[in-house]
Amino acid sequence: MLKKEVIQALLDEALETGADFAELFFEDTNQEVIRVTSKDVSNVSYNNVHGVGVRLIKNNDVVYGYSNEVSEDKVRALIVSLRASFHGKKKEAVALKDALPFDNKIKRPMEAVSAKEKTDKLLALSEVILSHDPKIVQSITQLLSWKQSILVANSNGTYQDDERHYARVILMGVASENGQMQQVFEGPGRAMGFEIFDDIDTFALAKDVAERAVHMLSAQPIVAQEMPVVLANGWGGVIFHEACGHPLEATAVAKGLSPFTGKLGQAIGSSVVTAYDDGDVDGAWGRTSFDDEGMKTQKNLLIENGILKSYLVDYRNGLTMNHKPTGSGRRQNYKFPPTSRMNTTYIAPGKDKVEDIIKDTKYGLYAKQLGGGQVSPATGEFNFAVSEGYMIEDGKLTTPVKGAMLIGKGHEVLFKIDRVADNLDFGQGMCGSISGSIPTDVGQPTIRVSKMTVGGSGGQA
Amino acid sequence: MNTKKWIELGLSKGLSDVEISVSESSSLKLVAYEGKIEQNTISDVSTVSIRGIYEGNIGKVRFEYISDEQVDKMLDKVIENAKVITVKEPAIIYEGSASYPEVKANDFDFSSIDMTKKVSDLITLETTIRANEKVSNVQTAVYQENSSGAILTNSKGLHLTRKNRFAYAYGIGVFKEGDDINTAYEFDIFKTYEAFDPNKLANITIEKGLKRLGAVSLPTKFYPVVFSNETFSDLLSVFSNLYSAESAYRHLTPFENKVGEKIAQANFNLIDDPLHENAYFQIPFDDEGVACQKKYVIKDGIFQGFMNDLKMATMMKQAPTGNSFGGGIRTTNMYLEPGELSFDDMIATIEDGVYITDLVGLHAGVKTISGDFSLQASGFKIENGKIAFPVNMIVVSGNFFDVMNNLVTLASDLKFDVSGFGSPSVHVKSLSISGETK
Repeated sequence: MLKKEVIQALLDEALETGADFAELFFEDTNQEVIRVTSKDVSNVSYNNVHGVGVRLIKNNDVVYGYSNEVSEDKVRALIVSLRASFHGKKKEAVALKDALPFDNKIKRPMEAVSAKEKTDKLLALSEVILSHDPKIVQSITQLLSWKQSILVANSNGTYQDDERHYARVILMGVASENGQMQQVFEGPGRAMGFEIFDDIDTFALAKDVAERAVHMLSAQPIVAQEMPVVLANGWGGVIFHEACGHPLEATAVAKGLSPFTGKLGQAIGSSVVTAYDDGDVDGAWGRTSFDDEGMKTQKNLLIENGILKSYLVDYRNGLTMNHKPTGSGRRQNYKFPPTSRMNTTYIAPGKDKVEDIIKDTKYGLYAKQLGGGQVSPATGEFNFAVSEGYMIEDGKLTTPVKGAMLIGKGHEVLFKIDRVADNLDFGQGMCGSISGSIPTDVGQPTIRVSKMTVGGSGGQA
Repeated sequence: MNTKKWIELGLSKGLSDVEISVSESSSLKLVAYEGKIEQNTISDVSTVSIRGIYEGNIGKVRFEYISDEQVDKMLDKVIENAKVITVKEPAIIYEGSASYPEVKANDFDFSSIDMTKKVSDLITLETTIRANEKVSNVQTAVYQENSSGAILTNSKGLHLTRKNRFAYAYGIGVFKEGDDINTAYEFDIFKTYEAFDPNKLANITIEKGLKRLGAVSLPTKFYPVVFSNETFSDLLSVFSNLYSAESAYRHLTPFENKVGEKIAQANFNLIDDPLHENAYFQIPFDDEGVACQKKYVIKDGIFQGFMNDLKMATMMKQAPTGNSFGGGIRTTNMYLEPGELSFDDMIATIEDGVYITDLVGLHAGVKTISGDFSLQASGFKIENGKIAFPVNMIVVSGNFFDVMNNLVTLASDLKFDVSGFGSPSVHVKSLSISGETK
């Protein structure tokens, strides 16, 4: 790691040809993956990501360079090569401030836990899945953990380090019967150490995974049609993440590519919708104390009773948009310049009861578990897969259905949310975008969308 | 980097075999927006991976912080990791194949081309797309060049090297007519700079985008479906893991006990060919140092056998197929053998069908083990044997194993994608299409 005086000097040099802003991002990340397949530890691997990223900005144009070699000479060489893009009067870098303290409240750092304790846990979870039912033919359990240590320093005086601890438990069960196979996956994650196992009842979840895999063997292909869809709490929030979260990122808004561009203060959804993106939820998978530009993370109100209140904004796009940064500058690692991204994004709880929402739905789909999805911010078109669903008939859950795919347009679906329950919950995933793949939480209470296109292979309605 | 010294250090620590691979890559990426370069990224990164066998088990590490002291620590980590493994599976570090296929190296030096030339060509791409009156914006326009080199060496005397250099470019146009918005792009990859034709690339992008304007959804029902060569490659790709020996061993493929059995219709020939001349890359050896070779995975509808790595080859008592990549078993250039019909002749036989040119959400809408898929799609309506009008916001659903047995015809237009999968356009008898009513 370079000394603070050296970093200060390098930032000064970076502004020599007229750049308005210079930033150095140092990273050292160590990741461990332990995998259990059925009754055996089948794989252990270790991955280290280490390097430096240099970013210069002038008039919103960016030059970025990165290398795994972290030395004063190498950083200087990158700077000299990058600043050649700019021609202007030298600017002065602000004196680097003192780093603010951070407390990530990690109780049992992974590196302090023995390999045996980790593998014992994974073997026991695998056994829960395997022994649940004779139809279960395979189980895979994994513990993914990594610690990312970063230091970001910029010519505006920011000098901030942070240490992020991530833990994710992957549980997968495969059931088979009469040549049919069904797989079910769960992957809860936390910004925690080994105490993730105290925070989440992984044994109950393992049992649930096995049960659902067996259950889905009897699911029928859903009949393609348009109908009301009730989206269960937790992972159901992926709809908001894809359909509204991404188009609210400055990446899409600054260039006018998002349907929400220029809509601050206007109604973009039905009045039952209030939504947040929070970078500072204790222990949450999507949390960091400081973002990857060194700004303290915060809770951002995005939509209040249907009215658009804020975008998610990073430093550079903030300049273009004349919008304050929201602590949302994120990147997978030093190989990416940061941009506006989500942390923990959710629809706030309403007052409805889940039972009432289902009771009041004459015919529709209850999407209990969702797979992933995708969105095109320019068109707002999104899709997401229902991994576990049930038909709703006369206000009651009936047949399990498989293969349902929901599609829609983000800016339209927000207006079609007509019921919001009181049972907010979260789900964890890896979110991919132009600054790489990062941990994010999605969240929502159970909601109902009055009409959606539902794809499936089960014939005609 | 003194790999020889590191191998010796590993052996002295008690590892019975050590393998080291070093990859070095550098890149340049330019991004244009509104007629100027808005982002310019340069990089060089080296990564070292070590695999070592300790008391019969294999440990693995990969790292970017590289120094002799770090290598010492990482070798200890290899041992630590190997000790945790309980599974009784063969751990192999390879002495090398008898011979290796010769491939033409991609060694064009893109850095020799003047930067101003690259900048002006990329800006041409961006501004040419933007100049079209139906284009409301260009989301992004990118030129990227990569140069990489790798060394694979081990304590059994293997020493292999490979180099690869290529560049690619694309521009994403946003096309608008009234309330109708869509995006289109064409991705082009090239091995010499001369092959980069920004005007041509822009024109293909514009043509694609304009054709799709005015797209509508369709009434929900079953239709005959034509998958374009590109979209059927996508489907072949997401199901390719089912032909892996590891998947068979772990009961994660329905083809586990189907070697020698019919799993597809008679004219379904699926081939994994690392050297195919029309594929983007030719691959002489895999990550374990095994020579790559052409093989049928499905021949005349009959499943020929699984692709493997050294561990699975030993366990299944089979010859290694040279398919170990990225720590797992992967295809090289896998393609479906084309038929003889032209694309137009294929369409001509369809009265009321759907031609699919884009599939979205492949990571979510596919259940590989059960073969079920349900995917957001767009493309064109086929009416009376002709492409009629553009279609979007539909979902195509079915089962891939059924599709393998229900192809009416295969066209002659084999095309490879960048990830190495190739396919002709195919006509599927009938699939569920769901859309919306306005």
